[in-house]
Amino acid sequence: MTIIAETKPKQYCDYLLRPGNTNCAGCGMSIGLQWLDEALAGEKPMLVIPACCGIVTAGAFPTSGYGVPTAAATFASSPALASGLSAIATMNEETNPIICWAGDGGTYDIGIATLSAAAERNEDIIYICYDNEIYGNTGGQRSSATPEGAVTSTTRTGKGEGKKDIMAIMAAHRIPYAATLSVAHREDFLRKVKVARATKGFRFLLILSPCPTGWKSEPDESTELIGMAVRSGLFPMYEIFDGVRYRINKKPDGTPVDEYIKKQRRYKGVAADPQPLTDCITAQWHRLNGMAAAFPATKEDGCLPDVG
Amino acid sequence: MAKELVTGNFAAGRALALAGEANRNARGCCAGAYPITPQTEIIEYLCANKFSKGRVIAVESEHSAMGVCIGAALGGGRSFTASSANGLAYMVENVLAAGYYRLPIVMIAVNRTLGPPWNIWVDQGDSLMLRDAPWLQFYCDSHQDLVDTILLSFRVAEDAQIMLPAMVAMDGFVTSHTQMVVDLPEQDQVDAYLPECNVPHRLRHDHPTTVGGLTWPRETEHHRIEIQQAMERVPEVLDVAIAEFEEIFGRKPAGTLVADQTKDADTVIVACNTMARTLKNVITERRSKGERIGMIRAKMFRPFPRGDFAAAIGSAKRVGVLDRNHSPGSGGIFWQEIATTLRGRSDILLKDYLVGLGGGDVTPTVINEIIDDLVARKEASDPVWKEVAA
Amino acid sequence: MIEITICGRGGQGGVTLAKLIATTYFLRDKYVQAFGVYAAERSGAPLQAFVRIDDQEITNHNQVREPDHIIVLDPTLITPGLAAAMKPGGWVIVNTQDPPEALQEHFAGLHVATVDATSIAVKNGLGTRAVPIVNTTMSGAIGKVFDLPIDDLLAGLDHLQFGGPNTISAREAYDCVQTATLSGKVAKLKRVQSNGKIPGLLDDDLGGMPKIRTGSWATRKPERQRLTPPCNDGCPAGNDVRGFVEAVGKEDYDQALAILLETSPLPGICGRVCPAPCMDACNRIEYDESVNIREIERYAADHGTLPSPTKPWRKENIAVVGSGPAGLSAAYHLAKLGYHVNLFEGEKELGGVLRTGIPEYRLPRDVLGDEITFILQHGVKAHCGCFLSRGDLLALTHTYAAVFAATGLRDSRTIDLGSGDSKSIMQGIDFLDRVRRRDVRLDGKSVIVIGGGNTAIDAARSALRVGAHHVEIVYRRTQAQMPAIREEIEEALDEGIKIHELVSPIQLDDVGARPTLTCQRMKLGEPDASGRPRPIPDTSEGAQFDMDCDCVMLALGQTQDISILPEGSEISDGKSLLGLSGAPMFVGGDFATNEGTVTAAIGSGRKAALHIHRTLTGEDLFPPPAEPVAASDQITTHVFSHEPRREGGMINAHDRRRSFTEVRVGYRDNPAEHAAVEEAQRCFSCGVCNTCDRCLEYCPEGILLRDGDAYRFDYDYCKGCGVCATECPRGVIYMSQL
Repeated sequence: MTIIAETKPKQYCDYLLRPGNTNCAGCGMSIGLQWLDEALAGEKPMLVIPACCGIVTAGAFPTSGYGVPTAAATFASSPALASGLSAIATMNEETNPIICWAGDGGTYDIGIATLSAAAERNEDIIYICYDNEIYGNTGGQRSSATPEGAVTSTTRTGKGEGKKDIMAIMAAHRIPYAATLSVAHREDFLRKVKVARATKGFRFLLILSPCPTGWKSEPDESTELIGMAVRSGLFPMYEIFDGVRYRINKKPDGTPVDEYIKKQRRYKGVAADPQPLTDCITAQWHRLNGMAAAFPATKEDGCLPDVG
Repeated sequence: MAKELVTGNFAAGRALALAGEANRNARGCCAGAYPITPQTEIIEYLCANKFSKGRVIAVESEHSAMGVCIGAALGGGRSFTASSANGLAYMVENVLAAGYYRLPIVMIAVNRTLGPPWNIWVDQGDSLMLRDAPWLQFYCDSHQDLVDTILLSFRVAEDAQIMLPAMVAMDGFVTSHTQMVVDLPEQDQVDAYLPECNVPHRLRHDHPTTVGGLTWPRETEHHRIEIQQAMERVPEVLDVAIAEFEEIFGRKPAGTLVADQTKDADTVIVACNTMARTLKNVITERRSKGERIGMIRAKMFRPFPRGDFAAAIGSAKRVGVLDRNHSPGSGGIFWQEIATTLRGRSDILLKDYLVGLGGGDVTPTVINEIIDDLVARKEASDPVWKEVAA
Repeated sequence: MIEITICGRGGQGGVTLAKLIATTYFLRDKYVQAFGVYAAERSGAPLQAFVRIDDQEITNHNQVREPDHIIVLDPTLITPGLAAAMKPGGWVIVNTQDPPEALQEHFAGLHVATVDATSIAVKNGLGTRAVPIVNTTMSGAIGKVFDLPIDDLLAGLDHLQFGGPNTISAREAYDCVQTATLSGKVAKLKRVQSNGKIPGLLDDDLGGMPKIRTGSWATRKPERQRLTPPCNDGCPAGNDVRGFVEAVGKEDYDQALAILLETSPLPGICGRVCPAPCMDACNRIEYDESVNIREIERYAADHGTLPSPTKPWRKENIAVVGSGPAGLSAAYHLAKLGYHVNLFEGEKELGGVLRTGIPEYRLPRDVLGDEITFILQHGVKAHCGCFLSRGDLLALTHTYAAVFAATGLRDSRTIDLGSGDSKSIMQGIDFLDRVRRRDVRLDGKSVIVIGGGNTAIDAARSALRVGAHHVEIVYRRTQAQMPAIREEIEEALDEGIKIHELVSPIQLDDVGARPTLTCQRMKLGEPDASGRPRPIPDTSEGAQFDMDCDCVMLALGQTQDISILPEGSEISDGKSLLGLSGAPMFVGGDFATNEGTVTAAIGSGRKAALHIHRTLTGEDLFPPPAEPVAASDQITTHVFSHEPRREGGMINAHDRRRSFTEVRVGYRDNPAEHAAVEEAQRCFSCGVCNTCDRCLEYCPEGILLRDGDAYRFDYDYCKGCGVCATECPRGVIYMSQL
């Protein structure tokens, strides 16, 4: 419980995400970056960030909101850029992880070809998508990660289609490790980053990242919302090893999705009828339970190497 | 040094590979590779090459090919790729990024007509589409020039005074797929010629920065000025690079341009790439008949060597430009640049000829007809299209 | 041309306000222009928007640098020199709770208008708590200040399709905006010209810390408070319950014991016999089950190392009369305060009701002995066998600096069962004392105990242990209403004792071979003074019945015997008795309060000690007034996981019912199990920071800093998101408006 006091750098300039960054108050990405920093336990990554809030986070030249080497990539090409960086790092025997930190637009939409290709090549990259289910940086337009019913500035009456199953897509690439992470479940988050770190090849981590500005929710309810999304089963917590072995980390505990919906004004149309989201929960758990039963993870999957 | 009969693509592939390998004692090399006709043999060559410290990543698109190069360069590696036509068009966003990031990437552009329609033959519209990118551009007229210019490009691009990417263009098929005898350098020569690639702003853990974050107008403008100043330093750096090249390789590649028999010429014709070689034959023949005619083989397009052009044109009265490219609504692109160079020279009749677009075969006959038209002209008027034989 | 600058924050609606103002004038046939300055800053970041209004076409597209008016959407956006470039005669219109005069230092010499747009917007549900959207509300105030008719203003809102709460808010602001012209001269600020070197892309000094202090984005800030944990609030002894539980959770038993000994010298006893009101108050009940505080206390007492006792250092001698829990507690605390204490006890041994009233199977004699020994080690002199009369007591006031009397309860309540002084009837408390002295056997006998308190249960269970064959308890209310400790009742039932609830004894027929107790069935009626439903006789047929027995024990409670107090004395807990010529005399414990629990008596004794100390020295050592109690809805329960309470071990019913060996064995002292530690870790630590670091771990900015046990919010950077307050499991962090 007190480990943080020992490993957290004392100086702000050593933080992975420095104070003075320009993220909104209560941004899920900020929590994710702090925990990423902590999980890496002093080992500094290089960040590759495509167009998204995450690059604006850095603030204005010549200062940097990131305390680690960071490159802005064009919207679609963070995995390509990271591949080049990784190639040079590998041939120079530099082992610090190279991490793509991308929003859902750069992951699910414009960047999916690049992502798919880098995954298929099994590049030695950790790809982390902080998924706020919206083009947040441009003021809140639909992406293929936007859930059904959510109001965005390009779906004024609520989106008609469901959320793309990016985890299934990544699993289909047979990458060594894919996992979903929650900013309301710290221990699980830290563990999964550590597992990713200890794994070679292409690793994909999906964080459901609350966006008070886009979700029209209270900043202080950010973590609470994600907790609800996990407990209701809307955002399942699981890991996929080599694209074929599944481990469910948390099962829904019967929390209704209604409260989650009510706390976000983006769902104002759905508030009366949460059916699309409850259907989504039923369907994805049907599939997930089936996969986990048919193709369970082994005991060795996700084991962290002994420290020291 | 060994003379070999090879295609232009092979020669380019070999030159890139030699340059990449030459960085093995530094941070190595990395190329993003994606096929497109007529460039494909270059990346095939690279993929087959065994680097002692290098990797060629066969990606899923030109956009990613350049993305890989950006990443590799930001990692401090020597980086290069090749493309053509629509591949370049698809790559544009990252081409611009590489330039604005000041990354010394070398790219071979095998000139091909931008589609649609489907057309694989030579036309410089693809690389000239990128004329406003922060890239050096060189146009090569022969296999030997190609090999030498690629090596020169690494030297200049990676020079601390420059730190900009460079594009080396050749004619699709006419150069890329034509077998010619080339003097291919040895690895030790290239090793001696190219210093270790040092990208001063590469990502490093001992000094973390954010490359490419938000930049205010004042700073952005300053960075544009820095790029302009670097461009302005190119000729000087290029001269030194050529001089050292000659010392090591025993031959002297062309620099910004080649002026041929322009000293006393009334008429000067400008052309680039293989078209300039055809032109050279025509000029030689017309000279032998007593015509006071000369030519300029344009080689460096960015930065555009205005002074060298003005000097080469000298006191000529007529200048004709052969443009194998077209900027719709304006005219040929080399012509535009030369017009800017000759602003205030009302004594010169400057005429643009759009010729050989879409891969048309520009023969001596075509060029003779153009020269005949030029010397008979009373006034320049708009650029004209010159048909070539079917 | 009129030029207006709007100072707002990302998300407050400043650009929309510019459009709204422009629209209003556009509808009045003016030429208008409205625009914002867009950058990378996010929700909460300071931003500017501009409006131009003119009678002719506007061709100026530059930012407004010398505005006619300034509108400030948030008082925290007021910076030095904000109005320095204003043209003369304009208005500064500020969203603030304060009147215009309060802004004198910023806007001297200017026309200033203020309106509390935030409260109006929040009340009408515009925006979020963190970033209320105040634009439409502010438009009302602006309209009023600019002398716009309300209808024009509403037309502008309507044109932009603002209705409902927006219109209501605008109207409210229109009506309540305050204006004033402030005295003094307009401050002018020298414009600072920056001519610093512009960094290049390839420079080697890039990547420094961001210059933005995001603390300026915040509209709220987190603060810390300490609340009273409900267990502490519920402990009559005044123990820091949460504190010692936390220490056990950290396996620091010495610390746990030290915390207990601050307020009570009898933790080993309380850890066995306390009814534990703390556990009834525990917020964990609403989540799963209360923390097993009693067992944890016992564990701390059994495993902590006692500190070295202090010795008296003051000259004053103090007499304590009665060595029950109140007397022992007073003696201990007085001794620790440095006084010489003389402790007087009527019985042969110290302990009072702890010894005479609580059976050994609940409180082993060695535990009692050890804790008394520890108290005496503080220099307390014991005088046993000194039964003091009223005169003796008065005499003490002339030889001691102060007297504390806590002689407990001596008179047992009785009931008329029509059989007079039958030998078959015994007072339960007397029986227990005889059991202690080993001078009673009930072999083969059948016993009925009347009552529902701890004495009733103790008597019944002791009867079993001295040979009774059959023991029954009759109680006139329901079993659930019995004041005895719940676990004791269950243990009694396990041992085979029968409880007849809603049964009231009427008569004992002691004439025949065996006594017969006639009883009346009862039912529950209206609540009585205690708030519990009053038992009333069941009038239906067959509601009276007879029970055979050999012996009836009465356990109906006891009352104090005040005959030893000076005449005319009025008992009042904590205050010295009036009208005495000698040293001050205090009373306490059951003698004063009749609360009937060991822990209340301990608290009473401690308070008496503090009163005496204050009377003698003037020094007030009473704890400061307690903070409000942490309510269960202040606990973030989802942080915790459901976990059943760990129960202490127990001898099985068959083995124990004939034995005086201690029934409860507490948590097994098995290091592998760590039951006490794990149970202690179930504690929510309601309202008190236990340095769990969750706030630190969840702070999105990493600006919540910890140095040792001290936490600090770096308000330079805190954006005021409030995640720390949400994630604090125990209500310690809260958000306050800036």
